[in-house]
Amino acid sequence: MSSSNTGKAGIIKAADDAGSIDKLAHTVLDDLLYNIVHDLLIKVHRDEKIARAATAAIRVEKLASDASDSSLATETRPDIRAETDAAVYDEGRTLLKGNPLETTKDILCPRCHLPRLLYPTDGKGARKPDPSIIYCKKHPYIDKPGYDIYGQTWVAQGPGRGKKKKDMEKKVETTPQDTPGATPTPEEGGGGKGGAASRPPNVLSFPSATCVKCKRCILVTRLNNHMGSCIGNSGRNASRAAAQKISNGSSNGAHNGSQGDGTPPNSQKGTPLPGSRASSPKKRDSDDVEDDDDTDNDAHKKKKLKPSAANPTKKVILKTKGGSGSGLKKEKVKTSSLLSVEQKVDDDDAEGSTVEVAPKKKVSKAPSPAKKLKLGVSKPLLSSPGTTKNGKTSKSNGSGGGGGDDGESESSGTLSSPPVV
Amino acid sequence: MAARPATPASPKNVKIKAAAPGIPMFGCGCVDVMNSSIQYYKMLLRVIFDNTPIIPQTSKSPDNVVTTSLTSNYLCLQCSTIVSEEDRVKHGNKKSHRFYVDSRSGSLYCQFCEDFVWDPTLEELRVRKIGTGSFSSRKRKHEELFSDSVKDDPRYISTNTAPASCKADGLRGIYNAGATCYQNVVLQSFLHNPLLRNFYLGDGHPNGSCGQSYCLSCAMDDMFQEFYALENTNGYTASSILSGFWISEKKAFENLVTTKEQDAHEFFQFLAEELHERNGDGEKPENGSEHSCDCVIHQSFYGKLQRSTTCQNCGGVTNAVESFLDLSLGLDTLAQKRGKKASKGVSLSLQECLDEEYIKSDKCEYRCRNCESMQQARRDNSIKLLPNVLDSSSSKGSRDKSAAKIDTPVHFPLTLNMLPYTTRGRSADIRETIELGRSCHYVSYCRVGDQWFAFNDHRVELATKSEVLSAKAYLLFYIIRSLG
Repeated sequence: MSSSNTGKAGIIKAADDAGSIDKLAHTVLDDLLYNIVHDLLIKVHRDEKIARAATAAIRVEKLASDASDSSLATETRPDIRAETDAAVYDEGRTLLKGNPLETTKDILCPRCHLPRLLYPTDGKGARKPDPSIIYCKKHPYIDKPGYDIYGQTWVAQGPGRGKKKKDMEKKVETTPQDTPGATPTPEEGGGGKGGAASRPPNVLSFPSATCVKCKRCILVTRLNNHMGSCIGNSGRNASRAAAQKISNGSSNGAHNGSQGDGTPPNSQKGTPLPGSRASSPKKRDSDDVEDDDDTDNDAHKKKKLKPSAANPTKKVILKTKGGSGSGLKKEKVKTSSLLSVEQKVDDDDAEGSTVEVAPKKKVSKAPSPAKKLKLGVSKPLLSSPGTTKNGKTSKSNGSGGGGGDDGESESSGTLSSPPVV
Repeated sequence: MAARPATPASPKNVKIKAAAPGIPMFGCGCVDVMNSSIQYYKMLLRVIFDNTPIIPQTSKSPDNVVTTSLTSNYLCLQCSTIVSEEDRVKHGNKKSHRFYVDSRSGSLYCQFCEDFVWDPTLEELRVRKIGTGSFSSRKRKHEELFSDSVKDDPRYISTNTAPASCKADGLRGIYNAGATCYQNVVLQSFLHNPLLRNFYLGDGHPNGSCGQSYCLSCAMDDMFQEFYALENTNGYTASSILSGFWISEKKAFENLVTTKEQDAHEFFQFLAEELHERNGDGEKPENGSEHSCDCVIHQSFYGKLQRSTTCQNCGGVTNAVESFLDLSLGLDTLAQKRGKKASKGVSLSLQECLDEEYIKSDKCEYRCRNCESMQQARRDNSIKLLPNVLDSSSSKGSRDKSAAKIDTPVHFPLTLNMLPYTTRGRSADIRETIELGRSCHYVSYCRVGDQWFAFNDHRVELATKSEVLSAKAYLLFYIIRSLG
């Protein structure tokens, strides 16, 4: 061995004039490399060959049991002989014929006896499956960036993103037909539905779950926060919640009754927690683009609002406009939804520099939001602080069904969910 | 492999495996395994795995040149010859011997097929030999604790269960319910823990008749069902776990129950205690005491630590045994020590931490009973009983919220040999689940079969070994390779 300048793999070669130690080192390294490859290969070989051998056995046993009187013996092994290219079944013994790697080309699932899909359907190494074959349900996992092992993807969760995309779609749909009147309304509704339907089936949205205590349906991303307020365990939270109720009661008046315990105590703290309403200013930033389309949408929005009133996305935008004032103003804003434009003006004064652009617009279209809001309140509870009462909104969603569902759940998710945790 | 019925034969006289549907009798058409060749195969496996590898690696060529090779030799199954790969054909032609055993892996090679063959009978012996070091069918000590003889009867199983879909393989994400990724990673590691899985899927916790309202163990049971029995591939909403968590009133973990991000390690401790209380003897598991119970949590997670203090004066040894849930790595102190030497780029390996904690001894003052005075003493920590699931965390188990995750990266191996750290020899390793903290987010990596998966809340993706190894480990779960 020492005379040669390489090992078994023949990949790592010493120079011909190298010293003997040098040659030895190369040989050892080369042999080790050979062993590594050998081990990897034998592992794959083992899995594959065992699977193929089992496939051959399953096939021939199936043949045997089909050939025998099926009414008599399905459990016990029939005493007959059956033979395929790959195996022989002889009175209860299954013997292989030849090498299963050569005789058997596919793999049957040992449990359901259906052929296994051997290549992923998407992503790296994907091949189109034969549509005429019913495959075993265990598929190779998909390796594709942005998708999970089942080829699924999700509505983007980040602030504003999921919704924004949707709004873009809507913009495309609404801008062409600027015709005023009742026509846009069904179109809009249809647009929402189209948004959900146009999504490929492997894009999932976040589900809702039922809170064990209050039995309300909560969007999963809000579940922890909800439980904090609904179940909340320690005295600390309870006292805080009580204090909040009192303060809310004074400022919110009649509105508060319906609000109940839906308000997460945390969100009322001064600190900008990732709680419900605290995120609305952020939302505002991300919605800058939408403002533009709002303005041009506004014209027919006013009209169509009468019939439909519950267009979810629009409502949220409205809300953010109100809420964009500042954290302190929240209560006021809420009441303002019952009232009118004057308070809006107050808000403008208080507004931070970041949302400078907004007031101008707001002034210009001040009448329209007021109108809408009034409408909204008299309608179902939808338009009242939707963010705080997540349970309610998502529930009414559920009953609303259809395309609106997705839109709402996204938007509430975007408003409330803390940045991806 | 595990699904196959164990051979009931005594270890001394292994028979050919009885015919099972879907499995051929022999590995290839040429094999007609006789009992004698099984015996001989076992002997060869002992030669290969029990002794120094130099014996099977040394071969003698026909012209009497003795060579020891790094690559595989072939041990003839029909005589005592060891040949190199090149000489194998020659030997076969001369003696018409057709079966050989690979000297490194013990695999059987058939000269007629010109291929390795995987005979069900012989392969089972080989796997068992590699796994446990002996041929005897597994000591079912641990399984007996969890099982019930009536329920193990195959007929009972077939009449009372429905086979799960092939698609249900337990790989699902868990939705983040708002800053709950620290829970998700712990739940994922529980879900892919074979001991817990078998316990729950084996009806270990009587879900219907539990009686406890908001029982976390029932919630776990439901979750295992959801993961391993249903075809769903979307994320799972762990609402019952979450509500059980909110409702449970544990003083020690009060701080944990908030809507904010928490420490995964603390949640693990919480969950372990809670599940112990639901399934165990009801006694509080105290970390310090030598408490043990037969519940699934203790069986899998709790080990015992032996602290021995040796008086430097009289040589008297005092032993104290404690049970532990997780193995703390003295990471911060070690990092500090290193930090002094090398100002930048401190990185540690898991083994170094374990060395520091469980091999090296430290000195302390203590009051020796024999000498009846304060004496210098040597303190040694070692692991008396390794848990089946070894959890080591790089945190110091502090309940202090401000204690940030320690930043020092720890290099860890995929398999860990715990032999040096134990009082009794036993090696534990493979399949770990890691949770790691990346700024404020936890991701968990689990191995299922040979494939690593990354669980990032509801997203499940394939992961490569290098991704796993380069991850910043925060909690590491090592699960024993084979029981017995």
